[in-house]
Amino acid sequence: MTMEAKTHSIDISALQRQNQSLRLEDETIALTVRDLELFYGDKRALHGVTMDIPKNRVTAFIGPSGCGKSTLLRCFNRMNDLVDSCRIQGQMSLYGQDIYERGVDVADLRRRVGMVFQKPNPFPKSIYENVAYGLRIQGINKKRVIDETVEWALKSAALWDEVKDRLHESALGMSGGQQQRLVIARTIAVKPEVLLLDEPASALDPISTLKIEELINELKKDFTIVIVTHNMQQAARVSDYTAFMYMGDLIEFGVTDRLFTNPEKKQTEDYITGRYG
Amino acid sequence: MNISVKEWYKSGSPWVWLNAGAVAISLIMVIGLLGLIAVRGLSHFWPADIVQGTYTVDGQSKTIAGEIVETNEVLTKQLIEAGIKIPDDTEFSTRHLLKVGNRDVYGSDFSWALEQFFTDQSRPTMLFTAERREWGNLYGYLRSLKEDGKEIGHVESNDESAEYLALWAELDKRVERALDIREDILEIEKHEIGAINYELERLRLKERGLQLDNVTDQAPYVAINQRRKELDQAYEGMQQRLLDLYTQINRDSLTAEVAGGKVVDLQIAKIVRIFRPNAMNTGQKMLHYAAKLWEFVSDEPREANTEGGIFPAIFGTVMMVLLMSLLVTPFGVVAAVYLREYAKQGFVTRLIRIAVNNLAGVPSIVYGVFGLGFFVYFLGGNIDDLFFAAAKPAPTFGTPGLMWASLTLALLTVPVVIVATEEGLSRIPRALREGSLALGATKFETLMKVVLPMASPAMMTGVILAIARAAGEVAPLMLVGVVKLAPSLPLDGNYPFIHLDQKFMHLGFHIYDVGFQSPNVEAARPLVYATALLLVLVIALLNMSAIAIRNHLREKYKALEM
Repeated sequence: MTMEAKTHSIDISALQRQNQSLRLEDETIALTVRDLELFYGDKRALHGVTMDIPKNRVTAFIGPSGCGKSTLLRCFNRMNDLVDSCRIQGQMSLYGQDIYERGVDVADLRRRVGMVFQKPNPFPKSIYENVAYGLRIQGINKKRVIDETVEWALKSAALWDEVKDRLHESALGMSGGQQQRLVIARTIAVKPEVLLLDEPASALDPISTLKIEELINELKKDFTIVIVTHNMQQAARVSDYTAFMYMGDLIEFGVTDRLFTNPEKKQTEDYITGRYG
Repeated sequence: MNISVKEWYKSGSPWVWLNAGAVAISLIMVIGLLGLIAVRGLSHFWPADIVQGTYTVDGQSKTIAGEIVETNEVLTKQLIEAGIKIPDDTEFSTRHLLKVGNRDVYGSDFSWALEQFFTDQSRPTMLFTAERREWGNLYGYLRSLKEDGKEIGHVESNDESAEYLALWAELDKRVERALDIREDILEIEKHEIGAINYELERLRLKERGLQLDNVTDQAPYVAINQRRKELDQAYEGMQQRLLDLYTQINRDSLTAEVAGGKVVDLQIAKIVRIFRPNAMNTGQKMLHYAAKLWEFVSDEPREANTEGGIFPAIFGTVMMVLLMSLLVTPFGVVAAVYLREYAKQGFVTRLIRIAVNNLAGVPSIVYGVFGLGFFVYFLGGNIDDLFFAAAKPAPTFGTPGLMWASLTLALLTVPVVIVATEEGLSRIPRALREGSLALGATKFETLMKVVLPMASPAMMTGVILAIARAAGEVAPLMLVGVVKLAPSLPLDGNYPFIHLDQKFMHLGFHIYDVGFQSPNVEAARPLVYATALLLVLVIALLNMSAIAIRNHLREKYKALEM
């Protein structure tokens, strides 16, 4: 059976887990957000968001365009620092340590909280060097260590079998889906604690999307995953917890199955039944 | 088919035609320019036939011989007005510019000859051209060959004869021998004695330095004197060898009869090359042509730059441009990175950008004056005070030289590199920077590992533009380091191998010098064209290598097109 056919044959329902038993109260909390407000100049983009993101679970942010879900995601690794006019109030912490405290090593924070972007952005280097990039940045130069980590990361990203014979070819020659999995491999190679995925499959075809979703399911054993997605089916398929955001407000946050089957808020119900967004 | 003018206008075709026309005219002008300098310059090296004939003016006849360099038509009336007695039955008369050579006999190399006075034209095969180290070409017939003043061979007739050819063969051999000896002499004079002189000068400076530092210990002085004695001895030995070689080279001479009947003596040591163009077939002429062309690009100039080659000028130009590129790239890139990546964008950065862009428009001579005032006199003077006090009062860096010329041109071209690099930096996709930052790289690491490599093609574009501008620049160089004739190349076998303080020759200045400062303008004119052609070729070559590097980099970092 070919790889392709095998992928097709996977029953999607198998991805849906029996997670009725999940309860936020029982989880270890990785990231906490308290009264987070974010301003672009004078414009307020986030209105006092408060939430807890559990460890080793997949948390999805859904909501219409411009609702602030990507902005919130980029707060977790301080990517918003790059925007000059951006200002933040409130508190955000990773295992109890304040992310926005003075004296926090931002580069180290970003290593601990990795991020994959909407469009695949491999560096114009070889596949091997892409994955090794983060390690080299950390000053790891031993070839054996790098070799092992690259292999592990590529295997974890389900890419090893496809690229093991052309590790030293340019990453730019890969397909979009492969590039995105390469970026995921690159990100997990530095062993982050949290993985932020900003619409990781929105630029990909359905088969590549499926592979990424399978991958997310695998990766949550080792990482805490936060994913932003436009696609509600995707959120339902891959996530354990879901947050619905609207116009900069966190409307509802809870176990995915419950949120999709029995939303508490009218806005959530309107959105997931397709009345707007 | 009937289209109204209005519709034709609206269709856009007049503009397309206009654009195409402009492009075509530009192309024709460029090709025409290159063609002109190529034809004028390259034809100079062809061994032209020597024409001999009788020239009759006012009933007086004389024999003349020379190469026809140029032929044109002049109004007969004009000639009559100039006092030349000529029948006015034709409107135009043909006249030739003859290179008659023999400057030491006739007083000038060139003479005009009217076609109708120039009769019995022939191309005698025994007539020879001798390129001499002084006084230009000699045209004549071989009369005799002498060794140590004693005649060893003699011919009377100008006709092709076995004895003439035998004597010619003997002459050829002796010219060959003299050239070999000359090579040995040059080797000794330039390299061996040059190296000794260089070391002696260094010893002198060392001694002077010791004196200036008030070193009283005698040991170093003794060592210096010891070494100096050794060098003096070596010098004596070489002097003796040179003397021998000079006696050998001056052994042979020849006598030749020039047009007009005069017999002149010529030392064989003074001959660069001797040949009979009228007896050569096309193949031989081509070989000769190739040899002359090679001499032009590989040899040193002779006779106030009007003869010989221009290798030192090519070398100086290339060296100066390469040094300039090495200096300008880091300057420009660092400035651009600061302006684009680190400086807070605002009024001040805007002001700086405006200033940088305007710098590119400052006339280049202004840079020359600045370079002379700041680099040469101020910086160079201070460097001399600090490091080369022993050589004073003779300046080392406090005088125009290669380094100051390169620095001045680097200053002249730095705006181009800044602008191009900034442009390149601004085109790096945000996603790639974020990708790197998200992996825990700092801004600096991201710059070094992702942004700068990807912006390198843009930097190369800047360098290409800088080279194009710098290689053609002459005016500022005249103030900061270029000379008419440099005694040695700025790169040689004497430590420290690159002599940044030396003055150097430059193709652009060479053109100006040969064309306008030469004592023998007529003879130098073809060289102006040939040098111009070479300058264009050198710049094209420099640019093409830079473009090749850029294309290679582009291929490597083509992610920008994503």
